[in-house]
Amino acid sequence: MSVAAAIGEGRIGPRLWMYANYHCNLRCSYCLTESGPGVARRHLGRGAMIERALEARELGFTGLGITGGEPFLVDDMPERLAELAQILPVVVLSNGTLFRGRRLAALDPLRGLPVEVQISLDSAEPDENDEMRGPENFAKVVAAIPELLARGIGVRIATTLNDPDAYPQAAMDRLCALHRGLGVSDDHHVVRPIVRRGRAATGDMGVVAGFDELEPELTLTVDGAFATPFGPTVRDGRLDTDLLISRTTAPVAFPAALLARAAGAHAPGSDARLGIR
Amino acid sequence: MIELIESEAAPVLARPYFQGAQTSPIVASLAHVPEVLEVAMPFIGLVLGPSAIDARTKELVILRTSALLECEYCVASHTVVALDSGVAASEARALRGGDVSAAFPDAREAALLHWVDAVAAGVGGVAPAAGDTLAGHFSEPEIVELTLLCAATMMLNRYCTALRLPTGHGTLSRLAAEGFA
Repeated sequence: MSVAAAIGEGRIGPRLWMYANYHCNLRCSYCLTESGPGVARRHLGRGAMIERALEARELGFTGLGITGGEPFLVDDMPERLAELAQILPVVVLSNGTLFRGRRLAALDPLRGLPVEVQISLDSAEPDENDEMRGPENFAKVVAAIPELLARGIGVRIATTLNDPDAYPQAAMDRLCALHRGLGVSDDHHVVRPIVRRGRAATGDMGVVAGFDELEPELTLTVDGAFATPFGPTVRDGRLDTDLLISRTTAPVAFPAALLARAAGAHAPGSDARLGIR
Repeated sequence: MIELIESEAAPVLARPYFQGAQTSPIVASLAHVPEVLEVAMPFIGLVLGPSAIDARTKELVILRTSALLECEYCVASHTVVALDSGVAASEARALRGGDVSAAFPDAREAALLHWVDAVAAGVGGVAPAAGDTLAGHFSEPEIVELTLLCAATMMLNRYCTALRLPTGHGTLSRLAAEGFA
């Protein structure tokens, strides 16, 4: 099966994910990659990201996802995003705590480009949010979102919960009222469970999810290509390999074909995937 | 030297090659690079496993080559396979470092082992005489396959030795039971 056909039939996701880095200014309790200020940066180079994006477009991918670590700790990330957005629409995942001063001004080139910043916000209650994500996280995020929107940069909010089904409706209503008030519509708010990998597994949090439960979405890192952005996780300082597809990441056609073949073993709609994005 | 990947950590495309506790350390190490594993294991399986050439003949090549290259893992593993393929214990001992000329009086097998010694123990050119003798007993397709078998075994010998792959307890127990140190 060709990669384009696999994307067209929904066997693999239409977005190519790239881990820009692994280090972060936060140390969240459920972080999949055990990211934090002191971890190895493991950058994916700018040239490589652009090349892979061009290849992905040729293969039939229709979007790019950039994650980390905290991508905006990479100095030239705004310029990278501007270049990537000329190739395919981009969603970049961020903790949203760095958008002040110089770093905020550096985002101006993104105005009007197909770039959305997906920011984590786990509760409408500052204390509850900050317990998972660190001191003052809530305040920084709610300050950053209007600043981004004012610069013409799209914002999505991702809420990650230990058990979304058990989350009180009233608390969810307050969270939704908050994001609407900040200018983020309901269709730009995603709620997903914590995936029990990385630091979440160490902390006994979240749902178990492997290849059969996760949507196949090709994900490139400096360590190789993975079957999903939930794949290149780190536990006790070691990279998990169960969702590794190949160490070869270039050309993208190589790991994409392998993932399409692996995903082809699942008939669409006949699996037990959790729909976690 | 390197971590052997456990079954639960096996990459997606490597999983068909994992057999629980029976997974070979070659598979468990190659799984670090699944795209190589996917190509290497079918190749190894075809070249070292069942084919048009009988198992005993192939194990003579593998065990002799492994002994010449002093690969502890391969010598141990393929002593067991050789015994199960019709190689006598006395023959296995000779292949592992004894006098093969005395243990293998059959001209066809002697020619083959002479060829293996020339290919595996030497560097540079291979003495034409060894090939001439071999050609008197084997067809060209057989010579190609047996030479590739010797060369592939050498590759595995160096791989297993360099990475210090461990011999399984089952293999060691069987060797002890058969009287091999």
